[in-house]
Amino acid sequence: MEEMLELNEMIIHLGPQHPMQPGPFRLNLKLKGETVLDAEVELGFIHKGIEKILENKTYLQGIPIVDRICYLVALTNEECFVGCVEKLAGIEVPERAQYIRVIIEELSRLQSHLLGMGEYGEFIGFVSMFMYTIKEREDILTLIDMVTGARVTHSYLKFGGVRDDLPEGFKEKTLPVLNKLKKVIDDYEEMFATDSIYRERAVGVGVLTADVAKNLGVSGPPLRATGVPFDIRKNEPYLVYEDLDFKVCTETAGDCAARVQVRLNEIRESIYIIEQCLDRIPDGPIFPVNSPYGRRTPVMRVPPGEVFHRVEDPRGEMGMYMVSDGTDKPHRVKVRGPYYPTLQALPPLIIGTTVADVAAISGSMDGCTSEADR
Amino acid sequence: MDARTIIESLTSEFPEAISESEVESEIRVRAYVAAGKAKETCQYLKDSLQFDHLCSVCGVDYPKRGEIEVVYHIASYEHPVVLTLKAKLPRDSPEIESVVPVYWNANWYERETYELYGVMFKNHPNLKPLVLPEEMLGEWPLRKDYKGFPNTTARNLV
Repeated sequence: MEEMLELNEMIIHLGPQHPMQPGPFRLNLKLKGETVLDAEVELGFIHKGIEKILENKTYLQGIPIVDRICYLVALTNEECFVGCVEKLAGIEVPERAQYIRVIIEELSRLQSHLLGMGEYGEFIGFVSMFMYTIKEREDILTLIDMVTGARVTHSYLKFGGVRDDLPEGFKEKTLPVLNKLKKVIDDYEEMFATDSIYRERAVGVGVLTADVAKNLGVSGPPLRATGVPFDIRKNEPYLVYEDLDFKVCTETAGDCAARVQVRLNEIRESIYIIEQCLDRIPDGPIFPVNSPYGRRTPVMRVPPGEVFHRVEDPRGEMGMYMVSDGTDKPHRVKVRGPYYPTLQALPPLIIGTTVADVAAISGSMDGCTSEADR
Repeated sequence: MDARTIIESLTSEFPEAISESEVESEIRVRAYVAAGKAKETCQYLKDSLQFDHLCSVCGVDYPKRGEIEVVYHIASYEHPVVLTLKAKLPRDSPEIESVVPVYWNANWYERETYELYGVMFKNHPNLKPLVLPEEMLGEWPLRKDYKGFPNTTARNLV
């Protein structure tokens, strides 16, 4: 990007604050007319140093910190962090707590996908879509609020279990919301299928093929839209996902429309998972019996060792690498977020397209810069 | 493809470079690699053992041993085994060959490891700071002896 520009070429900076962006990052585009010749992403505008903060906090104090990696998927971040400590310390999670975690994480997946679709609509000029999805998302947030007591940053998971049991009448309140959501999803699908402007902006735009996507290292809906059935819940089951019946949603086109379609189908699958869990959830304790771990976790000293734990985030593969040296604080926590490689893969995707498509492609990835920056 | 065959195949291919290999569980394998052989090992893993997905590259600082470890987490889109490949580097001049030619997405991970730990990745296409401002280069904030930037602890103010 540093070399001399030729006639008719120019560099424009999208960002750090731009309506099409999910958070502050700068996109430097080298243009010739409308066509993108070169692109470069600059990060670091909201670097929070979460990895360093985690090294200076005890394990229990780390839970609220990992919430802040990305407010949309706070619960899966917690699951990853708590899962690391449970593996290191050898804590068995009771079955009821596992079911509660699955329910609450799938609810979190629903709201993340809904907001992601709404934002995508907004980026391509379909602003009403945002109003539709944010309304449904509000119902889901109310359900999560009922259980965790917070809307976006929960600190709900604890080592060995969950902080509180499900409230009275949770199932009766959840099922109507899910049933309504099922109808709404069908409406969205019809809307997307019949709206000619949407199809103009999304079908055949930003096409990724399976080989390219694997080479770029993306995961989650952008990868599954190319036909690769890669889902940590199936490949490397955690919690009770092994016993649950669900399928990995894939599409073959690999374009923006396919990514949105994958999210729509995943919402259906998540609803199905929650329904199964609500039917099957056993009675029992929510913390391990005869164990020091409980609602009031003591100051923990985790045995020395290291672990790499992966969970399926709404955006893809979330992993954490934790090194413990036997003290009450982790020696090192590496957060491997799913949007980081996806954002890295943005420049190769948008080179050769037009400026108008940049917003469409970037939005279809359902990004969160907060998580890429950490 | 299970964990044990992967380790056996790796040690027979690189008998001198791979050491302290360990099968942690069915789906987790650990090994140390000689710093000079990291790129060749990654190439072999990608070509012959279906390890086509690089999860992350990160550094871990061990000030007592005077070492920085560069840790590669390499997984696959086909099988669930994750290989944790570690390379020990001296703390005063950490240098290792870049794996960007093998795994394209190592680019940002290596840039981040460079600015946070000061590990030089040789033959990296664009080794410059990613998340930190330019003036913090040389502070290496994720090393254990980092004292804050700008360093305003009492001793420095007097």
